[in-house]
Amino acid sequence: MHFTRRSVICAAFMQVAVLGAYCAGQAAPRLPGELVWAIGYDPKTFDPAKVDDIDAETVRYLTGGVLLRFNRLTQKVEPRLAESWSLSHDGKTIVFKLRAGLRFSDGSSLTSRDAAWSIRRVLLLGPDAPAADEFVNPSAVTVESPDSGTVIVHLPQRVIGIGKVFDEIAVEPADRPSEGRITSGPFVVADYRRSQFVRLRRNPYYYERDSAGASLPYATGVRLDILNNTEQETRLFLRGEYDLIDHLPPDYFELLRKQAGSTVRDLGPSLNTEQMWFNQSPVSPLPAWEKAWFQNRAFRVAVSQAIHRDDLARIAYFGHATPAYSFISPANRLWYNRNLSAPRTDVAAARSALLRAGFRWSGSKLEDAAGHPVRFSILTNAGNAARQKMATLIQQDLAALGMEVNVVALDFPALIERLMHTEDYEACLLGLENVDPEPNAMMNVWLSSSPNHQWNPSEKTPATPWEAEVDREMNRQATSLNDSERKQAVDRVQQIVADQQPFIYLVYPNTLVAISPRLQGVEPAVLEPELVWNAERLRLRGTQ
Amino acid sequence: MFRNGPWPPAGMGTRMRFHRLAAWVLAGLTAVSLAIVIAPGASYSRQDREQLFAAASPSHPAGTDALGRDRLVRVAAALLLSLAGASAAAALTTAGAAAVGAMAAFATGAVRWTIMLLCDVFLALPWLFLLMMVRSALPLKTSPARSAAITFMVLAALGWPACARAVYRGVLELKNADWMLQARAAGLRRSQTLHHVVPNLLPLLLPQFLVSVPAFVIAEANLGALGLGIGEPLPSWGGMLLELDNSAILLQTRWVYFPVLLLILVLLLVEAIMVEA
Amino acid sequence: MRKRVLAMMKWPARMLSILILVMTGTTILVRFAPGYLSDEREMDPRYAQAARIELAEETSRSHSLLQMLSTEVSGWSRGDLGRSRQFDIPVQELIWPRLAVTGELLLRSIVLGWMIAISGSMVSGVGRNPSMLWQLPATLLLAIPTAAMATLCLLSGKGGPVLVMALLIAARDFKFLHRMLRKAWLEPHILQARAQGIATSRLLVAHVLPSLAGQLAALASLSIVTALSALVPVEVIFNVPGLGQLAWNAALNRDLPVLLAITLIMAIAVTCSGMAPGRRPEWERA
Repeated sequence: MHFTRRSVICAAFMQVAVLGAYCAGQAAPRLPGELVWAIGYDPKTFDPAKVDDIDAETVRYLTGGVLLRFNRLTQKVEPRLAESWSLSHDGKTIVFKLRAGLRFSDGSSLTSRDAAWSIRRVLLLGPDAPAADEFVNPSAVTVESPDSGTVIVHLPQRVIGIGKVFDEIAVEPADRPSEGRITSGPFVVADYRRSQFVRLRRNPYYYERDSAGASLPYATGVRLDILNNTEQETRLFLRGEYDLIDHLPPDYFELLRKQAGSTVRDLGPSLNTEQMWFNQSPVSPLPAWEKAWFQNRAFRVAVSQAIHRDDLARIAYFGHATPAYSFISPANRLWYNRNLSAPRTDVAAARSALLRAGFRWSGSKLEDAAGHPVRFSILTNAGNAARQKMATLIQQDLAALGMEVNVVALDFPALIERLMHTEDYEACLLGLENVDPEPNAMMNVWLSSSPNHQWNPSEKTPATPWEAEVDREMNRQATSLNDSERKQAVDRVQQIVADQQPFIYLVYPNTLVAISPRLQGVEPAVLEPELVWNAERLRLRGTQ
Repeated sequence: MFRNGPWPPAGMGTRMRFHRLAAWVLAGLTAVSLAIVIAPGASYSRQDREQLFAAASPSHPAGTDALGRDRLVRVAAALLLSLAGASAAAALTTAGAAAVGAMAAFATGAVRWTIMLLCDVFLALPWLFLLMMVRSALPLKTSPARSAAITFMVLAALGWPACARAVYRGVLELKNADWMLQARAAGLRRSQTLHHVVPNLLPLLLPQFLVSVPAFVIAEANLGALGLGIGEPLPSWGGMLLELDNSAILLQTRWVYFPVLLLILVLLLVEAIMVEA
Repeated sequence: MRKRVLAMMKWPARMLSILILVMTGTTILVRFAPGYLSDEREMDPRYAQAARIELAEETSRSHSLLQMLSTEVSGWSRGDLGRSRQFDIPVQELIWPRLAVTGELLLRSIVLGWMIAISGSMVSGVGRNPSMLWQLPATLLLAIPTAAMATLCLLSGKGGPVLVMALLIAARDFKFLHRMLRKAWLEPHILQARAQGIATSRLLVAHVLPSLAGQLAALASLSIVTALSALVPVEVIFNVPGLGQLAWNAALNRDLPVLLAITLIMAIAVTCSGMAPGRRPEWERA
């Protein structure tokens, strides 16, 4: 009896010990000189022309050679494979002069024929190539290559920020699309294990050299691990398996700051915004009185005034966010309206404005003139801790006005269905990611006819005079040749939005990153890809 | 003579005392929780925004959470809410499993075949999507308490098949046990033997109940991702347990372990009460 | 003889009915789940256009449920599992490598979980005075969410997916095994044998375990269900490229062809586990 029991216990402990040996979360072994970080999901495609998600875009950025690059730090367009470029006065003709002696990663030479073919391919793919859309009228664009070093693009009409469009067109060998296996950029796709990693290796024929004449890129390769799990990512970073983390959530930023203080950096407000809006669509299935509240400017302004944005930033983001009042972040120095007057936190003013608008209190509960209690739900996406905290804080803030708020988190497809298709929601709290500081990139959000005009999508004619004015001003900035006139138009739109509060801006989340002390050459930028925009100049300490 | 049940074990007296003690402790715990929740000035939703992750103090005996809410009141309220919901759901699902399993075992061949087939189908279907449909059928303004009740009911309705299969096996064996055959031979009708079957299923049903309670507490919290479950500002025990999977929160305060310790205590108490005497 | 043939016919008939019912059920559940015809990228001005084109194709494809089902059934009967919606590659290519990973994980964790549970319950159930103390580790493991357990492993850098799954299975099965063993241990004939001084190990091997064989088989199918339900959180947190992780991504992307393949594999696993030893005699008795 005694013997049996003891041996059984021993066996049990041995099993546990043996099991303990299986270590958690092993990353693939790192090749010498290789940089490693994580991307969230599998890239949907390696074809640079067909990129339509953020992870595929990262791969294209690292592998694709482009005629022009939009420098993420200086926010200026710079020539790359093109030695120089010029835009005609009417903005309709672009001439690129290629560098001499360019080669693809397989050693074959790169000429204007390849560049022209790559541009044409994007144009011909039409809706399958999101970059084509940016030419406004892609089917009318023509491309010529009069000699082996020149490419000429003719546009039917002027396009704002056309230089930046070429940042998204990777030059591939003519008639030999290779899905990133033959490239003219710093890296080449070498290996792809679905749901595990994408391995890129150095392109030995990449043209660029550093100031000392050494050929770039420095790193022998890059491994992008497919991992959508901050917990694992932080562990692997702390173990030195990953060299950087971009888009660090604020709670994990604090964790890393405590455990490895020198590696984290708060880059200040990003271009992104977190906002809340009410559903103002006249065709939504909401009851008429709720639509009336949401379409009432006084109601929206009162809500905006009741929200303590400082608390949102301090509590939901551990201080790593900046209170927001406009759709343009102060990080966007050129376009941010410094003279904006927006409703600030003032609960007393909110209460008196509600009284003036016909609302009244029954006990502590707010009612509209017809006696309907003011109750609504705020929708947000599940899995974003900061957003859920903000929603709960706002719930409390609005309770001070007598509003009863439900917070509902849904998974993204269900959320999008309500926002974009059934329009069956009252209010929503979401963020908007801005990858481009240029306000022209936000046309889809502001034009009243756009399906992404969230508070009232796809209006046939502008529903209100102020929306009509926003349309006019946005069109003015899109067509004007004069920079100060464009700035004026965008400032005006910011002011209208601040007055009307169709989007109640909450915070600009700060860009939070972690960089391994071994990684050299990082110059963080607020634009994507924040840490690796100069990937060809990054290297690990101690490798040549 | 038909009882195949456990022999009265040695030390029966201590067992009974222990059993009664556990019942008193659990009742005391519930009473204390109730007192904490309804005490004047107690609020599970009031946010003290200057005291985030505060340490224990006279005003907050168990500190505060990430939004500055009193942890003790929240845990007490969650104990009452989640435990009531999860126990009710676990009891329902166990009863369902017993009913279906026993029905299959006593039914004729074709009915039995169909029931067990449906059990297998039920086990394999992705019910996650049903929960999504339930959410989309409910108005967004459904109050958090009602949404919680509905969630627990749905969980109860989905939890039975795995155990039903085990019950079915158990009942089949009992049906063919000597004492049962003897009873049948002696002329007892099926309905008369049935109440002897149930006590003999307890070794299957009790663990099923005990395993279901924590599983449902956690499942409720996981369903928060679909917009179901106990919504803010109501405290959810499962939600507090899920804080344990975020190492960033673990670093803030040791009090995050409080709910899980309490759950273990409650489960042990329930176990002690239900230990077959 | 005829009876035997009939009994043999029952098995494939049962399997086939299960597969068809599961296929229909899954298609209905996924197709009518909220968000089947929406895409996160619709919110992103850069990718909205591409997303809308894909959705329009899916809308026309999924217009009629009957048509969807007949396409699926005819595809499956030809061995074609369709194309994944999110990855746009044949489902087979996604499933096969992952099936091996998940199969290995399941097998290892079930075997180890059982070893722990059986040894634990023998120690706890076969004593003279089983103390509540033995329940503590199992209750502890049940009270901690799987995800939290996985996080603890990550934090400590020890243990992996197999350990977490095995402990979970062990904790659940322990609850059942402990009671079964205890009950068997207190049966009159065993008590008698114990009084006569027969060795515990002999009693266990020769009398207790054989008498529990049927219930143990039933428990086996229960632990497969437990393991399958823990598969998703464990694989997601440990980033194991298995079916659980794929199922989770497919659910978030409403990837019907992938979900269909996974649920059918689950159905086969669950059904086969129910056919485990001990089944045959029952069928013949039935």
